Amino acid sequence: MSFFDYDRTGIYPAFLLDNYREVFTSSSTLRVYGSTLKFTLVVWAITLFLGFNIAHFLIFHVRNGKVRIVLFLLCAIPFFTSAIIRTIAWIPFLGRSGAFNQALMGLHLTTHPLDFLLFSDFSVVVAYVHLYTPLMIGPIANSLSKIDRSLIEAARDAGASRWQTMANVIIPLSKTGIALGSILVMTQVMGDYFIVRQMSGGQSASIVSALSTEIQAMQYPPAAANAMVLVVIVAVMVGCVMRVVDIRKELVK
Amino acid sequence: MDARYDVELVSVTKQYGATLAVDAISLRVPKAGYCCLLGPSGCGKTSTLRMIAGHEGITEGDLLIDGRNVTDLPPWARGTAMMFQNYALFPHLSCLDNVAFGPKMRRVKRAERHRRAREFLDLVQMGDYAKRLPNELSGGQQQRIALARALIMRPRVLLLDEPLSALDPFLRVRMREELKRLQRELKITFIHVTHAQDEAMAMADLMVVMDGGKICQTGSPYEVFERPVSAFVARFIGGHNVVPWRNKLIAVRTDQCVLEPPGAVPGVRGWVSNVEYQGPTVRVGLTTKDGLEVAAVLRDDVFKQRPLSTGDEVTLSWPEASVHHLAA
Amino acid sequence: MVDRHPRQNPIDARPWTFYALGMLFALYMLFLYGPMLVIYTLSFQGPNGGVTFPIVDPSLDWFRDVWRKGQMADIPAAFSRSMALASVVSFLTVLISVAGGLAFRRPFRGGGVVFYIAISSLVMPSLLVGFGIGLGFQFLGLQPSLFTSALGAQLTWTLPFGLVTMFAVVNRFDRSWEEAASDLGATPFQRLRYVTVPILLPGILGVALSAFTLSYDEYARTTLTIGARNTLPLEIYALISSQTTPMLFALGTLTTAVSFLLIGTTLLFLVQTQQRRQWHRGPDVEPVGAWTRDTTSNL
Repeated sequence: MSFFDYDRTGIYPAFLLDNYREVFTSSSTLRVYGSTLKFTLVVWAITLFLGFNIAHFLIFHVRNGKVRIVLFLLCAIPFFTSAIIRTIAWIPFLGRSGAFNQALMGLHLTTHPLDFLLFSDFSVVVAYVHLYTPLMIGPIANSLSKIDRSLIEAARDAGASRWQTMANVIIPLSKTGIALGSILVMTQVMGDYFIVRQMSGGQSASIVSALSTEIQAMQYPPAAANAMVLVVIVAVMVGCVMRVVDIRKELVK
Repeated sequence: MDARYDVELVSVTKQYGATLAVDAISLRVPKAGYCCLLGPSGCGKTSTLRMIAGHEGITEGDLLIDGRNVTDLPPWARGTAMMFQNYALFPHLSCLDNVAFGPKMRRVKRAERHRRAREFLDLVQMGDYAKRLPNELSGGQQQRIALARALIMRPRVLLLDEPLSALDPFLRVRMREELKRLQRELKITFIHVTHAQDEAMAMADLMVVMDGGKICQTGSPYEVFERPVSAFVARFIGGHNVVPWRNKLIAVRTDQCVLEPPGAVPGVRGWVSNVEYQGPTVRVGLTTKDGLEVAAVLRDDVFKQRPLSTGDEVTLSWPEASVHHLAA
Repeated sequence: MVDRHPRQNPIDARPWTFYALGMLFALYMLFLYGPMLVIYTLSFQGPNGGVTFPIVDPSLDWFRDVWRKGQMADIPAAFSRSMALASVVSFLTVLISVAGGLAFRRPFRGGGVVFYIAISSLVMPSLLVGFGIGLGFQFLGLQPSLFTSALGAQLTWTLPFGLVTMFAVVNRFDRSWEEAASDLGATPFQRLRYVTVPILLPGILGVALSAFTLSYDEYARTTLTIGARNTLPLEIYALISSQTTPMLFALGTLTTAVSFLLIGTTLLFLVQTQQRRQWHRGPDVEPVGAWTRDTTSNL
């Protein structure tokens, strides 16, 4: 069973460098990479904000252990249902005559339906956040729960306000969780194929969907080159994050 | 308002939902004294300490520190500092940064707070460890850093939560001396929670025995040992026999008891259940026919004159002057 | 100077951030479940209704549509294939994860490598993995099919989750239980069967469940490795591209219902076992011996 099939570029040795050159110079590639990277960053920021706050709420503010488990499950279960269904669920919701618009008009907040809700960058980001926030909540909650409560009391004892405690104690100690969550989210967005296409109505493309078009056109060599570039970039991103934090220790702890 | 006392609890109660952890206790701790809260697990001593610190809210009653009512104030506004049972050193900060944490929260500039931190590190003899991380230190060393971190805040009252329980016996004795020395040098009040009565007796100026959320007795160690007010205190403090005698309940020090042949003198008759060699003394435990367990601690030469073994029948007796009547 | 006033001490009160975060959480719940609820309601759309509100005349028509063998898609067959594949994936994941989890307790040579491979298959874009495996099979002259290539592809997704979970569970496992068992005369196999596995069971079930659901919903990795016959998510995708009718919503509702059912039953079972095993403790009042106060301890 091979995870990575390096044989591809080996099959067509004559085209090797040509393909890569094409990848790097073609403007469509750059555009696609640019747009995917943009999505990645935006989604990462939003999921980090949401994920951290929700994890913080669950771990530190909910006092009853049972309630906490229930709430946590509520967050996690949707992750285990079909991603496809959840994505397309947004279509009737955000569309021109969709539920959200109807609600807005019903409450007299707007006079005509908002167009940008669906088939736009906005909807892509919404879908990503909807799908991937649990990936952030999980690792961060795990890190936060490992923080010894007496450390927080010691900080209070020494005069730290809540914000100071957050900045000086909680965040540094949850770095691994944040890093792990970030890696999971970023790689999923970078490697996504289906969501962008659906939610943007075909306007934007993701790296991988561009790849899949090439694959379907049987253009294997350039596809493979593209794929390798993607893998390398993702690997670099992951490597950077892991430099900052030692994840292995955290997972095995 | 005179501030004769550093810490004063006025009818303080702590209730967790349906559980009453601390039941309307009142206490006055004189200035610059060493006070030990002593009691079995679950008696409320840690809750009390945490209420003084401000990490638990006081359900009813008032707390005054140096004459000020601090009942509703957060921990840092009270003039107290706490040394936690597990030290609670920040694992991601060096020793120096750990100690400098308090000043940092008060926005003291880095050069100044590092200087102050080094001062306190030297005070606890950990000056060479400034750059190390807590997980590189032994238990005893970690405790000193925790101490420095608390003291840099210049508290009026230092609160210690079972500080010596995690140390091995030899280190424990050394730290006892150090803590006492520090307290005298700094001239602040220490409030020290423990369940080990020998520790409390050795260190306290004021001993507070607690049970079931209430204070059973306060006083100097001498007072509590010589004149326990109740059977519970007598048993908990150790070294006493609690015996029903002539329709009353009395306490007699075990080291003032003697063992005579059965029936020779008035006393409690029983069978030897175990003989424990303690070095300079021998502790002989007896069980009476009613199942009461008592003991006598004899000097080793006295024991050698009439050695006993398990199963021997003897009478436990004591001089009249040693009798202490118990209230309950 | 001193007065008695029973009221809640501000120290014990909840800070304002509690309410702020609570609201955020509530909003998030709405966000998370809102669209799905919309789909559920829309599944009951009348036969003449469109894909958005309003609901024309509520009916079960679209549900019935699901069961019919359309020309674009064959739901029941795809469903059974999905279930079958998911079961196999789940079983294998459990086996490998448990073995892995137990093995990793001791550092062994190559442990680091295995670890990194496991993690990297998690971060690899799903489609690429599928692509790689599909190509690999073609290159070797083998036909990609359900239980070989697709199985492998899905395992690359489920195994990391399974392994990580098992690591966490195994770490909480106290070796002294195993030692006690040996002490009392258990052979290694008996020990495994009567002590280790039962204690780890909740974790194992968790891994099985998540592997199953992950496989059941998996799309990207499966698509290029599946061969001729589709699993359910692939059928759904095919349908989306061709038409969007409320039938899709009905289908969505049904799949989600299946997922929930599975998750729900497993959770109930887990909760029951956990409750029975919990050491009974009193309120978390004092660190040392809160449980001496509470005499209802059960073992």
